[in-house]
Amino acid sequence: MDFTMIAQAAAQTFTIYNIALIFGGLLIGMVIGCIPGLSVTLGIILMLPLTYNMSDAASAIILMLAVYVGGMYGGSISAITLNTPGTNSAIATTFDGYPLARKGKVKKALDVSLFASTFGGLFSALLLLLCAQIITKLVSNFTSVEYFALGVMGISLIAGVSGESLPKALISGMLGLLMACVGKDSVTGVSRYAFGSNVLRYGINILPAMIALIALMQVVDKLREFKLSGGKIKDANKIDDDGLNRNETRRILPACFKSSAIASILGAMPGVGGGVAQFMCYNEVRRSSKHPEEFGKGCLEGIAAAESSNNAVVGSAMIPLLTLGIPGDGVTALLLGAFMLHGITPGPTMFTKQGVMAYTIILGCLVANIFLYPIGKALTRAVAKVIQVRYTYLACAIIMFCFAGAFAASGHYKELILTAAILILSYVLTLLDVDNTPLLLGMILEPIMEKYFVSASMAYDRDYSIFVRRPISLVILIITVVMVASMMRVNRRVNALNAEQEAVMAAEHEAEEKNEAAMLSVLQAEAATEESISSSYAGAVLEQEHVKKKPKDAE
Amino acid sequence: MKIKIRTNLVTGILMALFSGYMLYVMPKQVKVPAYDSGAPSPRIIPGICLGVILLCSIVLIIQSLVFKKEKIVVFDWNNEKPAILLIALLCLYVFLIIKIGFILASAIVFVAVLFYEGERKPFIYIFTIALAVGIYFLFTLVFHVSLPAGPFFGG
Repeated sequence: MDFTMIAQAAAQTFTIYNIALIFGGLLIGMVIGCIPGLSVTLGIILMLPLTYNMSDAASAIILMLAVYVGGMYGGSISAITLNTPGTNSAIATTFDGYPLARKGKVKKALDVSLFASTFGGLFSALLLLLCAQIITKLVSNFTSVEYFALGVMGISLIAGVSGESLPKALISGMLGLLMACVGKDSVTGVSRYAFGSNVLRYGINILPAMIALIALMQVVDKLREFKLSGGKIKDANKIDDDGLNRNETRRILPACFKSSAIASILGAMPGVGGGVAQFMCYNEVRRSSKHPEEFGKGCLEGIAAAESSNNAVVGSAMIPLLTLGIPGDGVTALLLGAFMLHGITPGPTMFTKQGVMAYTIILGCLVANIFLYPIGKALTRAVAKVIQVRYTYLACAIIMFCFAGAFAASGHYKELILTAAILILSYVLTLLDVDNTPLLLGMILEPIMEKYFVSASMAYDRDYSIFVRRPISLVILIITVVMVASMMRVNRRVNALNAEQEAVMAAEHEAEEKNEAAMLSVLQAEAATEESISSSYAGAVLEQEHVKKKPKDAE
Repeated sequence: MKIKIRTNLVTGILMALFSGYMLYVMPKQVKVPAYDSGAPSPRIIPGICLGVILLCSIVLIIQSLVFKKEKIVVFDWNNEKPAILLIALLCLYVFLIIKIGFILASAIVFVAVLFYEGERKPFIYIFTIALAVGIYFLFTLVFHVSLPAGPFFGG
């Protein structure tokens, strides 16, 4: 490990400014993460316009990572108090978090979630710190040919794992690449597919595209739900004061460790986000537990397994992103977009040319995970109140911020028009069951891929067979094909497993709720009979007294 | 009103038409540079993308018609109406921002959105308009992004 660089990076990370950003980011992440229907990606997108004017790109990335870390924990707050996961990665948290909350132990469930989140996050951030240098050394003799092959790998893997249909995902990814091609070609200066329009002449910026594809689509969906449900808000469980004690902490440690380790490996594989990792970790911890029968009924280990896994994914998903420049899922794709907006190209060169910045980002991720614990302890109660705020307050604010942010991309009206157009496109794609994620990734990866493609072709005098003639590039392309095929199969199996697990849990919860309801009605009936008995007894006593009184009266 | 969309078939047809058209107009829309700088043709990457889209579209059509593999999405007008209306309102929002500026456009569109969503208490309307003013000044004064001010605010 390069300790001089790490020392320099530490000095840059621990500035008051960066620490304040981490605090703010964690809080915003927790708030957005805990609102059901708003994902961590939305939080990161909202941060993009804020970071535009930051002079230090590392600070901007640290802020977004803090939002990511906070959001992953935030998702569990609503999973526990409302039985509705705030983010997709907190679905497994509801399995045990909500039953425990129903037993009145909300604080305990939240504490386990916070402890496990911090544990998982720290575990993977340390892994990132250790692995980054090793992987970078391994790939240090890559040339532009190999980088292009890596780009192909990134986009194919995302296409392979998102959605059910590979052709549709490929169409989506290619549409993204094509959209990024529009406008002036940076190498030859030729205009591509501008159709004589001023809006298209200078190309489609990634920021409005990200805002429209992810943020606005989510808000529209959520507002639709609000309208259809008539704006009803579920009652949240109140938070009590009985937190996690030392014995319990010791008991959940093995679950945290096991789950973090599995999720770290899964998270480093492209296409496996927190959403997928949580179920596998939950299953494994349940299988190897001494009391598997307690799972699903408010077991502390269950919450720990689910929550360490989704936070462990944060750090490990950064491994392929920082070292190879390949984003593993939607969130890391967005982070890659953010890197590029700030003029950083992740990959092995980042560690040689911008080493201090790379380590500053890694240390920032580590510090954000450390701070998550005290901030979560102090502010969870306040953040949980946000769930009860009417969504219409937030939606208008988010939409305004999105459009203002899109406009900030270049300060031109065209960004607003493009945002609206991409929003319509995104809606049509949803109707056609085409996933947006490959499209976004395609848009983000295109400039990098084309840059490497051009420099490789120029270096080898436009001999395009070089991409399959250079052994490393060929190996990468072969691995891509093999991995896409196997990942698709694995993904299908995992999805089936997840659906099964969810169905089983939902059935168990329902049965339990019915049981409780039945118990309640029995208790009520008992109470009612007792009452009637006592009232009839009281009536009889009164009557007797009355009868006793009568003869006296008669006397 | 409910419409069943055969998504594989519809996506296949739409994307085949789109990629076919884009390939057809490529010679006009992507000109080859006048002098050779040694760089690869600017048509290569868009060409590969369109080729893959066309190929995948054909695969989708074959999947749907020959192998009867189809994913059906039900378009329920009652469910989709709010989403379509909201997207239309957001398009109107863009038009209004350009024409009359950020603050006024926000005031008009979000009052409409809130009313449509069923909000009737005055506080939320006041809050939202105040927020529009707040965000406008946040962007112009703090982030130094001059959002469209419109004719009434000297823009």
